[in-house]
Order: sequence, then C-alpha cells, then structure tokens
Amino acid sequence: MPPIALFENPDPAPTVPDGPLHGTRVALQPTVSVAGWPTDAGSAALAGFTALEDATVAQRLRQAGAVLTGLTRASEFGFGLHGSQAGAAVRSGAADAELVLDMMGECRVAAARAGAFGLVPSVGLVSRLGLIGLIPSMERCGLLARSCGTLRTLLATLGGPDGRDFTLDETPPPAPAPLPADVRDVTLGVIPQALDGLPAGQAAGFRAALARLAAAGVTVRELPLPEYELFALVHMIVGSVEASSCAGRYDSVRYGRRPPGAKNWNDMYLGARGAAFGLRVKSFLIQGAFFQFERYAAYENACRIRARLAAAAQRFVSEVDALALPLADTVPEDAAATLAQACAPFAATRLASVTGLPALALPAAGACGALQLVGPRLGDARLIALGETLAALCQERN
Amino acid sequence: MDFEAVIGLEIHVELNCATKLFCDCPNRPGDEPNANTCPTCLWLPGAAPRLSQAALEKAALLCLGLGTELQPLSAFDQKVYYYPDLPKGYQLSQVHLPLSRGGGITVANERGEARALRIHHIHMEEDVAKLVHELEGRQPISLVDFNRAGVPLVEIVTEPDFRTPYEAMEFLKALRTQVRYVGASECSMENGTMRVDANISVRPRGSSQMNTKVEVKNMNSVRHVGDAIAFEIARQIAAVQAGEALVLHTRLWDPDKKTTIPMRAKFEGPCVPDPSVPAIALTPAWIEALRARLPEMPAAKAERLVKEQGVSAEDAAFLSADAHVAAYFEALTAHGVTAKMALHWIATQVLPAVRERGQDLSASSVTPERLAGLLTLLARDEINANAAREVLVALFECESSADEIVSARGFRQISDTGVIDALIDQVLAAHPAALADVRNGVGKATGFLIGQVMQASQGKANPKLIKERLAEKLRQV
Repeated sequence: MPPIALFENPDPAPTVPDGPLHGTRVALQPTVSVAGWPTDAGSAALAGFTALEDATVAQRLRQAGAVLTGLTRASEFGFGLHGSQAGAAVRSGAADAELVLDMMGECRVAAARAGAFGLVPSVGLVSRLGLIGLIPSMERCGLLARSCGTLRTLLATLGGPDGRDFTLDETPPPAPAPLPADVRDVTLGVIPQALDGLPAGQAAGFRAALARLAAAGVTVRELPLPEYELFALVHMIVGSVEASSCAGRYDSVRYGRRPPGAKNWNDMYLGARGAAFGLRVKSFLIQGAFFQFERYAAYENACRIRARLAAAAQRFVSEVDALALPLADTVPEDAAATLAQACAPFAATRLASVTGLPALALPAAGACGALQLVGPRLGDARLIALGETLAALCQERN
Repeated sequence: MDFEAVIGLEIHVELNCATKLFCDCPNRPGDEPNANTCPTCLWLPGAAPRLSQAALEKAALLCLGLGTELQPLSAFDQKVYYYPDLPKGYQLSQVHLPLSRGGGITVANERGEARALRIHHIHMEEDVAKLVHELEGRQPISLVDFNRAGVPLVEIVTEPDFRTPYEAMEFLKALRTQVRYVGASECSMENGTMRVDANISVRPRGSSQMNTKVEVKNMNSVRHVGDAIAFEIARQIAAVQAGEALVLHTRLWDPDKKTTIPMRAKFEGPCVPDPSVPAIALTPAWIEALRARLPEMPAAKAERLVKEQGVSAEDAAFLSADAHVAAYFEALTAHGVTAKMALHWIATQVLPAVRERGQDLSASSVTPERLAGLLTLLARDEINANAAREVLVALFECESSADEIVSARGFRQISDTGVIDALIDQVLAAHPAALADVRNGVGKATGFLIGQVMQASQGKANPKLIKERLAEKLRQV
C-alpha cells in the first residue's frame, strides 16, 4: 500500500487564531494550488512545478482557521481514481475533510470508497481559481468529509463570489438549511435506466437503500429517461475535446521535463507532450483530438445534446426533492487497461458532471449501498440537510 | 486576358487599454522584457482568465464607431496551435460568435467614385508574446518576451470587396482615422499597434468566381500594404498566365526587396468554445449607453464644419481627418479667429512647428487660446505677418501671452500716421534720385521707398499705412 500523503505541510498550525473551521484538518490534492507547495497535479507534465499563488479555496480554508495537512496522492490531473488516495486521509483519521477535484465523479466515488460524505457543489458556487484539472466546464472542487456538519461548514466557507473567478455566480453561498421536519414529505426521483448495466452488487445495494427509505415513509417516484445513456457519451466527447484543447497549457516546456535531442521547437513540443502524459490521460486527450479535428460535427451535436440533457435533469429535480442515483464504492485497480475500464466506476456520476447540478454522496450502511442525491442548482444546503436525514435512516435500521 | 484582383483585409488593432485582456498586468509591451507578467498571462497551471470590462467597452465603442452591429451574444474560443509565442497552446479569440457584424466604410476610388467596402465582422482576441532571435556566441537562441502576451486586440475582417491597392490604402486611412476618433488605439503601423494582412486572388475581369487566395503579412505602413498588394497581384497574374497553379499559403512582404516570400504555415485546427471565459451578453440598454459616449465621427464632423464654419469640403476633410486638428480649429474660431486665418495658420505654421518639436497638437503648449491671442493682434494689424511668425516661435519657448511677447520684443507695428509721415519725409529727403524716378514713372522706385521707410522704422511700421501715406505724399509733392 503506497503512503497516502505525497507532501506533508511542514508548518500545519492554523494561521488565524479562530474561525468556523478552527482546528479542522483538511487534506488537499496536488491539483489545488498552494503557494510554494509541489502542485504537479500528479503529472510528469508538471514535474517540479511549484504554485506561485494560493487557490481561492486554499486561501479561504486558512482564513477560516483550518489546518492544511498536506497533499494526498492523486491520479494524473485528478482524472479517474486509479493511483489516487482520495478519501484515504479521512478514512484513516489523518484528516477531517479533503478537497477532491471532481470531473466525472471522483469525489463522490472516493467518498463512498472511504465510507464518508462527498459533495460536488453547484457549478458557479465554489471558486475554481488555482485548481489544476482537465475539463474546466465539468470539474468542480469536491468536498469530502466524515460528517454532513463538516460539509456544511466547508461549503459556507468556500462558497460564494470570488473577484478572481469570473465564472462564479454573484449569489452568496446558500445558508444552512433545516433538516426535513417529516421524511414522509420527502420525494425522491429515480431514473430506472440508471440501473441498466450496473454491477449486480451495486444495483442491489441501491435498491436496498431505496427500499429502506421507502419503508421509513419516503416517497420514491420513477422518472424514466430513455436518453440516460447519453450522459456518459456526452461526457466522453465534450469532456475529452475540452481536455485536448485546454491541456495545451501543460506543454511540459516551461516546467515539467523537456526531453533532450529535439531538432527544432515543433519537435520539442511534440516530444515533450508525448513523454509527459500518462497512458490514461493520453488516451483521453487523443480521443478528444480525434473528435476536435476529425469529427467536429459530432462534438457540436454532443454540445447540443448536453444542453437538452441539462434541461431534462433540471426539470426532474424541480419535480422532486432530489434525484437518487446509484454510486460505486470500489475502484478495481487491476481492471483499468482501457479508458472505458478506467471510467466504468463513474457510470452513474456523470449526470451531475454533465449538468453542473450539485450532488451528494452518501456512504453505504449495511445492506444499503452508497447512493447519490442530485438536487436543483444552488440547492446545495438543502441537499446536505436531506442527505444527513436519509443517511441516518439507512444507518439506524441496520 | 484582362484580370482583376479580389482583395480582403484582416486588420489587427491593439487597444490602448491600461491593462491586458484577461489580467491586471499593465498593457505596456515596450517595458523591460517580461516585467508585465503574472500567472494568468503566463497561463501557469490553475490560472483563470478575467475578461477586462475596459477592453470590452473599448472594443465595443470601436465597433459602434465603424457603424457595425454589436451582437447580443459573443464568446471566446480556443484557437489551437503550438508555438513558443503562445503560452497555453491556444489563443483566446472570438471565432464562432464575434463581437459585431456588418458595417463598412465608403471611400473614393482612383476615379473619384464612391466605393462601399463592407466589414464582415469584428472580434476580440489576445495578442501573443514576442519572439526575439539572437546569437549567443555562435549558438542561435530564441528569447520570449511575454509583455505583449494577453494584450487586447480587435481584428477587423472585411469582405473581399477591394479591387485595387488604392482602395485598400484609402480604406485603411479612413479606418485609422475612425479608430483614433473613438480613442481606442493609436493605430500606428510603424509601432505595430495596427497590423494588416491582405488576402489576394486574381480572376478574369467580369468573372464572379473566387480563386485560391494568398495571404500577405508583415507590411509596416499603409504604403507598404499598397506596394505588397500590387506586387502580389502582378505575381499571381504572371503565374496564371504561365499556367502555374496557385496554392493557398501565406507570404511575407520584404520591404527592402519589394517582394513577397513564402512562409511556413502554422498548424491550425477547428476551434473549441472556451469554457473559462463567460459568454458576453450585451443588452440594448448597455449598447445605447455606450453609443452616447461615441464622439462625433469624421464624416459628420466634416459636414458640420462646412455648414457652420463655411469651409470648403476639401478643407473640412483635411480638418476632420484628425479629431485633435478639428478641435484645435474650432477652438480658434470660438476665440474669434476667422475660419480662413485659422485654417491657414494650422496648416502652414502650427502643424509643422508641432511636428518639428515632436509634440502632440492636443498637448501642445501653444494652446488655441494662446494662438488666438497672436492671430487677433495680426488681424488687427497690430503686428505684421513676419513678426507673427516670430511670436509663434516664442510662444513655443515661453509661457507669456502673444501680447506680452509683442510688447517685450517691440514687435508692435507703428500705426501712428504722424510718426509714419515723419519717416516718409526723412526718406524722401535722403533719396532725391528715387523721388525723381517715381515722378518719371519708374514703378519699382515706389517699392524702394517703401522699403526704406520700413527700414527706418526698424521693421515696425505698418506696411499698409506706409503705402497709403507715401501715395498721399507723392500726390502732394
């Protein structure tokens, strides 16, 4: 088992004497910029790169009195969970919370794997300045914690406008919401198609959790969506094209390793990028380049379909309190030879990645499998309150 | 066969904003190399672009000034290519949804006919870094200066409406004037704040087909644009006549050899919308508020000068070609100087003097108010034209008013008839031979006598009065 930490903060004492997160130990990934820390995003393309300034989220954690413990081992650019120790610091007790970059469900699956809660906040709620990823329109700063209470404080601390990130909403972070007064007033929506093709154990765990909640009085409504399988396709096409185009900045020329012996700078660029990226990221980038340069019309279609899917999902979450979706809680390390295999654990998490809706991962409890709740945009606080109540229901009947 | 050229222009204009397009670094490319850089314009990992409101306003104002239509929705795309001048492997440019569309400029062609030359669209983009190629010993090295990386640009793309180099040059001059009017850029081709690429193809006259075009770059004056287009047209016609196939490529203008030479193309692919810069939605109210800030544009100004100041259309065009010149002119006439005198003095004295001193007219120490003081003295015959020119020089050198300079240097004309009469008597007495010549009808003798009186007055006598009084005296004698 490789160590969890990639880098330990030599000076972890809080820099402010007080604050809502005073003493809360938060582990980061090398995809979050902290000035002076080795933020190489887990990629040889950034080998030796040291951030010049703090990400807004790192700055806000410090201002709230949190203890930044260090960086955990991450997959390359936080893409997928192979080789990643996301969640392990919380599971082992080395940290109370972690920030985990989530571009296709990494934070949520890592939370389920760690038996913890994981929130991917609404798009536009938490600053992305200083995050080092691959898919800007899908990646968000995920929050992983042992309790919903910590998640609530983290969200209130990290959310809200940032003068340095113009993609954010102008609205302040949502105020903490009260727990549902009576679970019999709660309605969850379930997309039956989301269970198609899942590993048998995962589907069974999901059904068991729903049955448990229904028995407690929660209304479960089926919301069929025949297009459901398009979430994964749109994610693969739009996500990979974005990654292929945006990853141009990780040229491994101004930092990282520049391979020797190039005849001219065109050679040097090609050689540097070829040597820098790992197999999985390279496969993803090549797939994106294929769609960008050879199948541009398919990419444009995928963008249109994405808008349609987002509208459908938004409609669903306005009709119920939240959508309930299954969630993988393991990542088989040995079965990731292909891109498709590496992405398999994220079958059910891409809906939120494609639509930008907030999603909360609830840990498995006994027969109840891990599950995700997806809520309306900027309904993050209500989602946490709902998740806390439903998770307690799953646990108390074990 | 008779050929005609089909020419379209792509004009990059560097906006004179205080900061870069996506960060707060100063927009001063000429500073110490790499002094004006930050994680955003170097596009280090984690950087997030922040679109400058000032740049957007300036670009939009430029679009309105050129009569183009601002689009309700525009957005940035990633123009992918790998080159050391581009720190993130793509340039942010509005490829799919440009800031404005339509509009154009009407110019007179070689035969004086009006030619409406259309603009296809105007988009915003960021400038790239500057590469400096040097030798370190015998080792060639390339240095990158990122001061210019991220500087705000607009690109004005025309329709292929131009048929001759002359039309292209006239369009560029008019465009430059209009952009300077709205204060968006100095538009100096010499300094690179305006850069022009020309797309040129040829076809049999009367045909409507569009043949393979060649792009020509690297012209650093309007004249060079004309020369490069003329050369390229001739080169292409010769090639077609020789039966050679033309291929799509880019050529560089060599101003010394006056030829174009082929350059290697950069790899470019389809552009993907940028997910990090929010789309720009312009509301009608925002656009109207901006339009209210638009100054009077050259055509309207020229028309008004003809109507209000009674100048000729040609003079009005001269004055309105530079907003500062027109403003200077109007300030002079507002101080009571006649339009004719103001025009004459601006064109023949003030502009050359300002240029000679390397000053800007708008910031010159010889303000319209100070010059009006001088021209009023001249109009009242209190000084003569020679003295006026000397006073102008003095106005540039000190802070005194024209009146003070005239008094201090004794430039004031003698217009006292008693004094002039006495001088005339003195001169006539001293030059009896000349007086006799006048009586015998030798015309130039009168001129000699006037000169003598002027000399006797040490150049201060009013020449008009000398003439009058001398004629009177000669009649009496």
